[in-house]
Amino acid sequence: MNTVIEVRDLTRRFGDFVAVDRVSFHVEKGEIFGYLGANGAGKSTTIRMLCGLLAPTEGVAMVAGHDIRDDARKVRAAIGYMSQKFSLYLDLPVRANLEFYAGAYEIESPRKRVQEILELLDLEVHRDQITGALPGGTRQRLGLGCALLHRPEIVFLDEPTAGVDPASRRDFWRLIRSLSREGTTVFVTTHYMDEAEYCQRIGLMVDGRLAALDTPRALKRDLVPGRMFRVSNVDERASRAVLSGMSGVVDVQPFGTRLHVRVRPGGPEAPDLGKQLSQAGLSGAEIEEIEPTLEDVFLAVVDPTKGSAAA
Amino acid sequence: MRRALNALIQKELRQTVRDRRMMVLLIAVPTIQIIVFGFAVDLEVDRVPTVVVDQDRSVESRRHVRRLFADGTLHLRYQTQDTQEAERLLISGQANLALIFPSGFQRDQLCGRPTQVQAVVDGSDPNRGRSAGAAVGGYFGQVGPMLRIAPPSGRVSVEPKLSFNPGLDTAKFMLPGIIGVLLLLITTIVAAMGLARERQTGTLEQLMVTPMAPTTVILGKILPFAGFGFLDLSLALTAAVVIFDMPTRGSLIAVYATAGIYLVATLSTGLFISTISRTQQQAFLGGFLFLLPAVLLSGMLTPVRAMPAWLELATWLNPVRHFIELLRANLLADAGFLERWPNLLALSLYGLFMTVLSISRYRKTLE
Repeated sequence: MNTVIEVRDLTRRFGDFVAVDRVSFHVEKGEIFGYLGANGAGKSTTIRMLCGLLAPTEGVAMVAGHDIRDDARKVRAAIGYMSQKFSLYLDLPVRANLEFYAGAYEIESPRKRVQEILELLDLEVHRDQITGALPGGTRQRLGLGCALLHRPEIVFLDEPTAGVDPASRRDFWRLIRSLSREGTTVFVTTHYMDEAEYCQRIGLMVDGRLAALDTPRALKRDLVPGRMFRVSNVDERASRAVLSGMSGVVDVQPFGTRLHVRVRPGGPEAPDLGKQLSQAGLSGAEIEEIEPTLEDVFLAVVDPTKGSAAA
Repeated sequence: MRRALNALIQKELRQTVRDRRMMVLLIAVPTIQIIVFGFAVDLEVDRVPTVVVDQDRSVESRRHVRRLFADGTLHLRYQTQDTQEAERLLISGQANLALIFPSGFQRDQLCGRPTQVQAVVDGSDPNRGRSAGAAVGGYFGQVGPMLRIAPPSGRVSVEPKLSFNPGLDTAKFMLPGIIGVLLLLITTIVAAMGLARERQTGTLEQLMVTPMAPTTVILGKILPFAGFGFLDLSLALTAAVVIFDMPTRGSLIAVYATAGIYLVATLSTGLFISTISRTQQQAFLGGFLFLLPAVLLSGMLTPVRAMPAWLELATWLNPVRHFIELLRANLLADAGFLERWPNLLALSLYGLFMTVLSISRYRKTLE
């Protein structure tokens, strides 16, 4: 494994506001690296610095072996970028967009490559359609196609599946995984916790700082210790009050109409929770043990008050 | 660089050709404008409403009236015996010129005595007043020394200049100016919108993550629209020659070469405005703030030499002034390309400076 992105103490300030605060990490070749965080946590700012769109205030970042300050052009030649906002020419047909970027990157045999991309991303049937008329999922595939034309070592995808239907999201992630298998490094930000599970490692951004960084499994193990129970089929508000006061219960978070109850290692078991609830007059609760999700991790990491607001 | 530049030019042309409004702006509007403006300047010195006060009512006075109105510069609107009535018409603006033939005009003329015809010109519109005065002066100047125009009298009067031939020549003189301003308007606005639109729609960001050099991007915006500029120039020249009989005495190659430099100057100015604007609205306003003084200080309407010295000096920074002077010299007087080298040099330096400035501004947005 070799490191393709290396970031040390990367900082970006806008006036007094610190958007990214001394962030350090590294990404290995072929890895799918997920970047999670609330809006305004500094995800996009980090990506924009790594793509050479924004100068860092402090710190060092090496991308594909080049310093982003000194060799921005070499960095740009080695990466693909798909911004949060769709940023291709809506008034041009699909193929014209691909041909333009093929020219912009000065790739060899552009015609052949455009055809390859059309096939790879299943865009062949759309190739003469005006880009503005495409549905969201197809647009995203085209965006990815333009970012992949020049066979970049690394692709940066900033919220690539925002506002895309679930089926298209699944297809999109299938593509991302196949890219990674072929050795392309994927740096992706997302809002969707279920998508984050696909990432090999995850960085959690909270208020500009990198609050946690590890594999999804290790994050769950370390940040959500003990066990998790899901309590359903019972009044959520009342049972929350009951269970929060129980000894051995670390945290109770509402998830829709259900509750996720986190207990200390060696704490109460499922029947104990049920007993406590029926003693309080709340009967019929269904309780089962569950694996913590990344959402639990996220809530454990962020400030508790903010955590419940986000949920 | 070459392939990226080609891709940019191709993309820009594809976008423009697909945009029907843009095509109208680039092709139909300038053609229509050169025709409309051409007639507007032509009409300005034509058909000056005139009141004739023929107190003599003789064969001779009628003969002169008929001939005076023959060429169409003056238009016989009223006839009266009463000078006060004529004055009222002048003051109310219903007539801009009063011609008074005193009684005894024919008798004095036949006896060889000096005769007087009085011309009272409304000078509130100097252009119109001057051409009316010139038409009268020109006519009587030709008729012979036995006729003299009375010295200026009345509310306003203009001294006739015998050498000034009004009418068509004014239009011909104006046409190069109109062409220069037309090219300016179109190219500046289009270029100012260029980058601002890409910034607003987000496509600029995608452009900026490619390894394309800032120079390539700026040239990729200048060259396709310079192409449209040449097309507009050709349409305008054709209209000017076919409809208004504008002479093309100099070499057309020199005209196009000069226009090429001029287009780089106006397009790079537009692009510079674009690099400092966040939205298309800002770019449009910025373009307008540049256009207005550029047109007013170009010498198209008011001669540059008539401006105060400091202002005249400032017009050296105005690309429109140089282009119009070069175009006039070339088309109307066959001054060669190089005889006007100070204009040419100033225009080239301006274009070069603005291009470099745009590139460096664009590079800054990258950092």
